[in-house]
Amino acid sequence: MKNLLCLHGLGCGGDTISLLNAEEPDLLTALEMLEINVAWHPSISLEKGDDVKQICADFASGKRSLDLFIVEGAVPTGPDGTGRIFEFLDRPFIDWVRDLAAVAEYTIAVGTCATSGGIPSANPNPTGANGLQFTRDKTGGILGTDYRSKAGFPVINIPGCPSHPDWILESLYLIATGKLLHEHLDYANRPAHFFNNLAHHSCPRNEFYEFKASAEEFGQMGCLFERLGCRGTQCESDCNIRLWLGRTGSCTRGGYPCISCTSQNFPLPDINYFKTETMAGVPKALPKDVPKAWYIGMVGLAKMATPERLKINAVSTQNKYRKKGEGQS
Amino acid sequence: MSKTISISPFNRVEGDLKIKVKIEDGRVADARASGTMFRGFEQILKGHFPEDAVIYTPRICGICSISHSVASSNALAAISEAFVPSRNGQLAKNISHATENAMSHITQFYLYFGPDLLNKKYTGFTYYPAMEKQMTGLKGESVKTIMSERKRFLEILGLIGGKWPHTLALQPGGITKALTTSDIFRIKGILRHFTGVMETVLLGMPVKDYLSIKSIQEFDSAFTEEDIDKSNLALFYHFAKAAGFFDMGKGPGKFIAAGAYPRPDGKPFIPAGYWNNGVHPLDISKITESIHYSFFDSGKPVSDPHKDVSVPRHDKPHAYSWAKAPRYKGEVLEVGALGRQLISGDALITELFSRHGSTVFTRVFARLHESVKLLNEMDTWADELSADEDYYAKNTLKQNAEGIGLTEAARGILGHWISVENGKIKNYQVITPTGWNASPQDEKENHGALEHALIGLRIEDEGNPAEIEHVIRSYDPCLVCTVH
Repeated sequence: MKNLLCLHGLGCGGDTISLLNAEEPDLLTALEMLEINVAWHPSISLEKGDDVKQICADFASGKRSLDLFIVEGAVPTGPDGTGRIFEFLDRPFIDWVRDLAAVAEYTIAVGTCATSGGIPSANPNPTGANGLQFTRDKTGGILGTDYRSKAGFPVINIPGCPSHPDWILESLYLIATGKLLHEHLDYANRPAHFFNNLAHHSCPRNEFYEFKASAEEFGQMGCLFERLGCRGTQCESDCNIRLWLGRTGSCTRGGYPCISCTSQNFPLPDINYFKTETMAGVPKALPKDVPKAWYIGMVGLAKMATPERLKINAVSTQNKYRKKGEGQS
Repeated sequence: MSKTISISPFNRVEGDLKIKVKIEDGRVADARASGTMFRGFEQILKGHFPEDAVIYTPRICGICSISHSVASSNALAAISEAFVPSRNGQLAKNISHATENAMSHITQFYLYFGPDLLNKKYTGFTYYPAMEKQMTGLKGESVKTIMSERKRFLEILGLIGGKWPHTLALQPGGITKALTTSDIFRIKGILRHFTGVMETVLLGMPVKDYLSIKSIQEFDSAFTEEDIDKSNLALFYHFAKAAGFFDMGKGPGKFIAAGAYPRPDGKPFIPAGYWNNGVHPLDISKITESIHYSFFDSGKPVSDPHKDVSVPRHDKPHAYSWAKAPRYKGEVLEVGALGRQLISGDALITELFSRHGSTVFTRVFARLHESVKLLNEMDTWADELSADEDYYAKNTLKQNAEGIGLTEAARGILGHWISVENGKIKNYQVITPTGWNASPQDEKENHGALEHALIGLRIEDEGNPAEIEHVIRSYDPCLVCTVH
């Protein structure tokens, strides 16, 4: 059995809540399949107070082997680097995280707060919140750029606000079965097979995107990129392929813009997330890897070719266009 | 004989709670509840576009996320030019909000409160074997059923909100998605299925029959000792009676509720009110926050939330919690399902309350009772949804304004106080339900509700103070919300 310890820093508990929605396999089955023993988890374990201290101390001293160390939530360094603003088991939380990461076979940051600071690290970052090995897109975090767990890996980052249960459990599957390779991780030390897709992939609004038929208000069917702030073409995740909550939804399927919550720089300062910022009519944030000149060229062509059907449906709440289409026999 | 017990972290609550109690002669003589974690949402929100409050504030809490969506969208509605929210959108907001709240109640009972009923203290009870079979943490038959069925129930939030927690679908004018016939039918199907699960596991009878029970006498004849194997509610009821929960952990017994789930006829499903030996009107302007024992500095000890400019100070002498101490007319109140059901005039809850007051049993029972009522009401809302009308009405925010967004989270009244200046957030204050229930002492040394309920509590075995756990979890504390 592999021992798993999970600690919560500055966060909302949302990644755990999300994890409870795991299916195929569900959480308990997955733990059984992967032969993982949950040594302690703040939301589901029976131990409290001093018993928890004993569990953590036994891991930190090496008396018991810590195979999987998960942190959810950011780690505060305030005030003045002491981390005393958040004490856990009579010590600054940051000290526990450093001690336990030093003995862990694998250290795993779950959720954008733990991977890169997330919401608590937003300006003015009142607590000095950091991610484990990144703070926003700067490497380092509280463990330092050179940190490697006993298995030789950097902190394995599974961002998202919240993280998808599959991202967590499938990563644990790779890790616990020894299948995780260094080349599986991307520039942000995330398992690439989730995070090197775009939230845009498989978005049901893609035809509207292609022909630049855009929604003007919430509740309309068109693409959310041009006016309503959608970052799905920049957000590295597989949300629209994978889908959430029993594969019933995603952000853009829910009619609101992707805010790129898996990004290291989430949340972005000084923007209105529900409005696309433009310069001379061109969105400031362009789709990933698409140069501006090409984008402008593509849009010009696409707008000339927009079918009537898409123009009408884009600003309608449901499919409104009823005519027989061209090209139909 | 005096003994101090300090429990930190106190597990199976949302967030970081520290409990310190002094026991003298087998009774709790003093109690302190501390929220130990702090992020600084109120500082972070300053200077942001007000629209983004619906992005930031749900992320205060992973389990009350939609309640914050509702409160923040209500706050934005309060600072908008006149507009009429979408009728459909409001119904869909109600359905998603009720899904979160009902699920929170049910999850709390099975995952957080329930495991304490297997405390070694109760091994000799007649009901223990049944409890062990149904309620053992993560292994009991009922617990396993609920763990798997809650996910299916939450698919309602996938259909309406895309994902959960932290959907952005809930906006001042409705929701961002126009539901299709397919969505509506699926929502109804999921509701039907989950209602069936509750009927089989929790109630042991049809919801309609359960809701016809209006008195303790009727309840007693419907949930007898013979029913404990087919109804978790019967099992809990008889167990609670034997374990002394009916009179354990008396709270202050005064409540407020904000009102929630506005219906198309203009009447909210949960009315607003102030309960003090009967229902009185709620006057929001009477809410203040004390920071006397909180890790905040301010020019004055008590503030109107709109004018609260307190700043964090982690080393403030004598302070012991990151929670502030909200008070109503200066009084210590409780919030949550029990207060809501009293203010709603629920006959069964009113009779139980008049007999026992606010206790471990009445607080836990009111949550389960309310979740059944919510499931039933949600179906009528789903019937009123139309696939041929809009779900969203656009609102325009004022550039300079103050507004309050109120609603009921699972644990009680939730308020967001927003001030905007030149189109940006100038001040944003959040008062959460557990802020009320687990508040520290105020400047007059009055204890918060949870501390109040602990003081005087009789502890049978100081080495195994199960009673403390029952009282604390009967308030279903959510500390991540509280400290924000």
